Amino acid sequence: MTTETLSPTRERSRTSNRLRAMMTQENLITFVVAIIVAGAVIVPLAVLFVSSFKVLDPLGWDTAWGFGNYVEMFTDRIIPKAFINTLIISSGSTVLATFLGVSLAWINARTNCPGRDYLEPYNLIPFFLSPFVGAIAWHNLGEPQTGLLNNLARDVLGIEGAIMNIDNIWGVIWVTGIFFAPLVYLFVVGSLRRMDPSLEDSARTTGAGLVRTTMTVTLPLVMPGILSGAIIVFVTSAGEFGVPFKLSAPYGWETLTTQIFSKAVGDDANHYLGAAMSMALGIITVFLIWVQQRYIAPRSFTTVTGKGFRPNVLDLGPWKWVAFGYNLTFIAVAVVLPIVCLIIVSLHPVWTGKIVWADLTTINYVKTLFWWRPEAISAATNGIGNSLILAFGGASIAMVMALVISYMIHRTKGFGVRMLDFLSVVPIGFPGIVLAMGVLVTYIQTPIYATLWILMLAYITRFFPYGQRNISSIMLAISEELDQSSRMAGASWFTTLWRITIPLLKPGLFAGWILLFIIFLRELSISIILFTTGTETLSVGVYYLTNFENEPLTAALSMAQTVLLLIAIYAFRRFAGREALTA
Amino acid sequence: MTSNSDIKVSIEHLYKSYGAETAVKDFNLDIAQGEFVTLLGPSGCGKTTTLRCVAGLERPEAGEIRIGGETVVAPEKDIYLFPEHRNIGMVFQSYAVWPHMTVFDNVAYGLRVRRASGAEIKTKTMKALELVGLDHVADRFATKLSGGQRQRVALARAIVYEPDVILFDEPLSNLDAKLREQMRDEIVRLQKEVGITSIFVTHDQSEALVMSDRVVVMDKAVIQQIGDPEDIYANPVNSFVANFIGVTSLLEGKLTARSGETCEVEVPSTNGGAPLRLRGTGAPAAQTGDRIFFNLRPEDVQLHLDAPDVSDGQNVIEGKVIDTIYLGSFLEGRVSASGHEIGIQIDHYENLRPDQTVWLTFRPEHGLCLTD
Amino acid sequence: MAVDTSGAYLQVDNLVKYFGDDKAVDGISFGIPKGAFLTLLGPSGCGKTTTLMSIAGLHTIDGGRIRVGETIFTSPKEGLFLPPEKRDIGMVFQSYAIWPHMTVAQNVAYPLEIRNWDQSDIDDRVAEVLELVGLTDWADSLATNLSGGQQQRASLARAIVSKPSLLLFDEPLSNLDLKLREQMRVELKRIQNEVGITSIYVTHDQSEALVMSDEIIVMSKGKIEQRGGPVEIYSKPVNEYVSNFIGIANLMKGKVVEVSEPGIGKFEVTQDGQTVQLPCRLTAGIAAGEDAVLSVRPENVHAVPEGGGGVLTGECIHAIFLGSYVDCRVKWGDFEWKVISHPRNHPRTGEKVHLRFDAEHTLAVQP
Repeated sequence: MTTETLSPTRERSRTSNRLRAMMTQENLITFVVAIIVAGAVIVPLAVLFVSSFKVLDPLGWDTAWGFGNYVEMFTDRIIPKAFINTLIISSGSTVLATFLGVSLAWINARTNCPGRDYLEPYNLIPFFLSPFVGAIAWHNLGEPQTGLLNNLARDVLGIEGAIMNIDNIWGVIWVTGIFFAPLVYLFVVGSLRRMDPSLEDSARTTGAGLVRTTMTVTLPLVMPGILSGAIIVFVTSAGEFGVPFKLSAPYGWETLTTQIFSKAVGDDANHYLGAAMSMALGIITVFLIWVQQRYIAPRSFTTVTGKGFRPNVLDLGPWKWVAFGYNLTFIAVAVVLPIVCLIIVSLHPVWTGKIVWADLTTINYVKTLFWWRPEAISAATNGIGNSLILAFGGASIAMVMALVISYMIHRTKGFGVRMLDFLSVVPIGFPGIVLAMGVLVTYIQTPIYATLWILMLAYITRFFPYGQRNISSIMLAISEELDQSSRMAGASWFTTLWRITIPLLKPGLFAGWILLFIIFLRELSISIILFTTGTETLSVGVYYLTNFENEPLTAALSMAQTVLLLIAIYAFRRFAGREALTA
Repeated sequence: MTSNSDIKVSIEHLYKSYGAETAVKDFNLDIAQGEFVTLLGPSGCGKTTTLRCVAGLERPEAGEIRIGGETVVAPEKDIYLFPEHRNIGMVFQSYAVWPHMTVFDNVAYGLRVRRASGAEIKTKTMKALELVGLDHVADRFATKLSGGQRQRVALARAIVYEPDVILFDEPLSNLDAKLREQMRDEIVRLQKEVGITSIFVTHDQSEALVMSDRVVVMDKAVIQQIGDPEDIYANPVNSFVANFIGVTSLLEGKLTARSGETCEVEVPSTNGGAPLRLRGTGAPAAQTGDRIFFNLRPEDVQLHLDAPDVSDGQNVIEGKVIDTIYLGSFLEGRVSASGHEIGIQIDHYENLRPDQTVWLTFRPEHGLCLTD
Repeated sequence: MAVDTSGAYLQVDNLVKYFGDDKAVDGISFGIPKGAFLTLLGPSGCGKTTTLMSIAGLHTIDGGRIRVGETIFTSPKEGLFLPPEKRDIGMVFQSYAIWPHMTVAQNVAYPLEIRNWDQSDIDDRVAEVLELVGLTDWADSLATNLSGGQQQRASLARAIVSKPSLLLFDEPLSNLDLKLREQMRVELKRIQNEVGITSIYVTHDQSEALVMSDEIIVMSKGKIEQRGGPVEIYSKPVNEYVSNFIGIANLMKGKVVEVSEPGIGKFEVTQDGQTVQLPCRLTAGIAAGEDAVLSVRPENVHAVPEGGGGVLTGECIHAIFLGSYVDCRVKWGDFEWKVISHPRNHPRTGEKVHLRFDAEHTLAVQP
């Protein structure tokens, strides 16, 4: 071989050197993205931590360093009670949601309950709707004087007084429990549905009866799923703002979230005390999420075999109609009753607890939706526009980010990958209201405060992990050889990404996008801290109406939000399919 | 039927269908104490359904199954015992070892549900674990074990409470080839040692041949043949069994003459050449002119590179080599004769070129004539 | 610069690859002529896949040089590394790696689209290749609707469609079940023969290697143990490792007591008080008086009747009927001979058995 014939090789070697340079560029990109994500996630939490040690002087002019805020949390008149209320609410709704979630999952996955495949989507609807709106609906159903159910009981059944009072911490537990039951359901149903039937068959052939098999084999195998679901419900309930704000705070049962809110905005705002309370709440939730991720999730048993097994289905005999009725009751209580109630209330000029057919009107919808009309309420109409912008823009940006991060974690293995992996779990540990407090104290002095950008930033920081998980699970499932064979076919790295990797991820990208779209469309606890006049969101609009206007107007905007969410849910099921959630 | 105390499992006139599809049809089988019986057939032949009926995991429509003298299911008499009341052990394809228990707890489970005493549980469990060679991992969680080890746990779990019969549902098919052979030998050894009555379901004919005292070949929901391995291999009753067990060449032709044991069969050519005239045995009921499947095992065929002397009455077929596969211990080849493909197997390496003319000889008693 | 002058089409020189501190490939060299089918055979971790990936360019190497035709693929010393997409290679993966979001035809057309072929040329070529692998009727079905065997055919079609200079196979059959595997290896070999592309095939399955290859390289711990044709490797293994890895062998420790002429001698074993001298062939380099290992394949040990030339007598402790043959274990002292017998005439369990050996197939190899 002569030097001449070697020269084309030299020519190629230059491209190969460029590729090598890109290898380090890949590392560089990973590093840069890691820095950005770290900035978005770590900075607000760090500032929150630091701020919690700044104590505002009594005049509200100056601050001094110290533990005063933490001391005040224990000596304050309200805060310690709020702590206890939060604990009661979280525990109660965890018990209720776990019971409902596990029983519904078992009925749908393992019994011959009639129509179970058709009922499942309706069992899951509360997962996507706004608990705040649920609380508003249930307030109108169960308030002692004006509650629809109480009035019906008086008129139809002739009962004296009220059959229920929803406006207390038991009401909060009731509503959060119902709305978070699907969370537990989703954690449990997968392992119930795809469990290898021979695990149970072998207990039967070994001599154990049905009950014993259920107690010693089935239940222990799904226990990690149940515990995970329960912890997530506990943490989510503790961070829930809308439900206690509507049902318990006005009646004397403050919670940590309603207290943080009162320290963030309003007359006696004290960001530093708010920061300390946020730290306290955040530490509890982070600890629980850490326990779940570190100890419970890894224990979930891989009971799934490669084969398409059908799980054992229990013949309930006549009891299957009881199961059917139970299932329908849940759907009625969690979905149908609240929506019907909201529709009825929203069609009245004022709500007194009784349906007045002659008074029915659409004026509430005109006021909340028709922004071009002079009587429109701007907090409501702004909210619709802003939320759609945030949902479309935020979901899109978050998914691009999630794609880049997933690719780096699973494919490039460059420097900073471990940090990225860690950073994409951290936000899950903090309730929205805590992160929002951090964002507030961090950016209040900057120009992005009082714009939609600060909301977008907080939304994405808090929720991009959900999108990232959707992509990662698919990326783990598709073999790297699919990429490699494209390289072998002669395609460059970028062509491979564009023509192979991204198309393969499409279902995950789409499912993640709609999920984030839904979350952003109903988001309340971040928005409530960060909004200002002009940057109201849909849920903030609902908050505004329930606080400063009347129930029918509130119900009208709530219905608008609910309809938007239902459309998105339909799209989610239509395009992403059941597997996207229950897998 | 006569009641025989030696019979451990008896299945009579078993029927089972799924909707319009018949899964098992008129299945009859008696299994003696300590016997190892294999149900063999392609997927969908009804072997697993039969096993699951014995286990009580499926309910047959008709028939009767008795285990250890006790009727466990008989739809006509309205008898059905739940699996847990049948005193059986079962080993599943997917191991089904419970991941939330230790190896010890997995194996002890059957004793615990039978309310054995603590000391008895301990000694019996450890003895069963010793039998399968896993006593050193008793305290480990089942998830930490390899596939072969898990299957051993499942085996120990099924035998520990000394059931009347142990049922195996393709237990080896999830293991890789090397491990499969090891486990196969291990199960046979253990079965002989413990002397437990066993029903083994598999689609792998070599497993069936190696392990069984008796093989039940099934196809399309019906038993085709029952017999010991060598008998089934040497004397298949029809072309399905001949083809399913081992490798064979089946040539379709007509009976042209018969003299004593010997049948003369003419196999028409498919490529315009002369028909093959072969002498074989079997098909005692066949008449001249009847259709015959001529069954020839590769290992019974001798290969010759030159025209052989066949004065000793052997069949001879002239053909051309299609291809050969060198497998080390032997050479597998295909020879085309009058358009038919005949498999051969030679125990030494021979450099055969495609299209090379060769001669095949075999003895008439090795050519089995089947009518079905 | 040292330019290799060998006439080989693919030349691998002193290939070295580390994973961390582990030397996965330890300076191996080989060359193969154009159109040949070479198999890299060995247990997992022997470096065969690493070698293949090095040729594919799916990872960089730490030393040595790989050349195909006139093109140097990689040579760290010279700072050369051609990215995989520039190497003009077809590759078939273990997991098939058929893209599930495309039809079979789209999968196969992909390499041609990347090479900017005209659409009509692409259509013609794809049809031609699909016919070759027998998937014409499946052209428009989604890849996910194919069975494992069909997916592997599609994968092969995609690998050969652009007529690459080299075809690489990474254990392509190991995900298939036994029956299909046996079918596909004949099929794969037929197609490779037809297209005539130089191929390197990686497998841990020795029977696959014997059936398919023109040449086999047996690897262990990153090094080459033996290279040769299937018959040579099987019948003349150079050492105990190869003898054990390829096929099944009776391996017995003993001593070479006599070298009568080059490559032929006598091997002495003692067992249970019986000392037997067996005429045998010797691997190059074994001298009289040296310890060695006797290697005899089970099919070359014959159970014969009394007076049939048997040199030692044992007891059949196990006769496993396998249909076309019977696998017997014959106990002789502490040693268990594996003997293969014909199903029509085989020893029964418990019988006394006389064993005869052919000198031609009795081999003394390096331990």
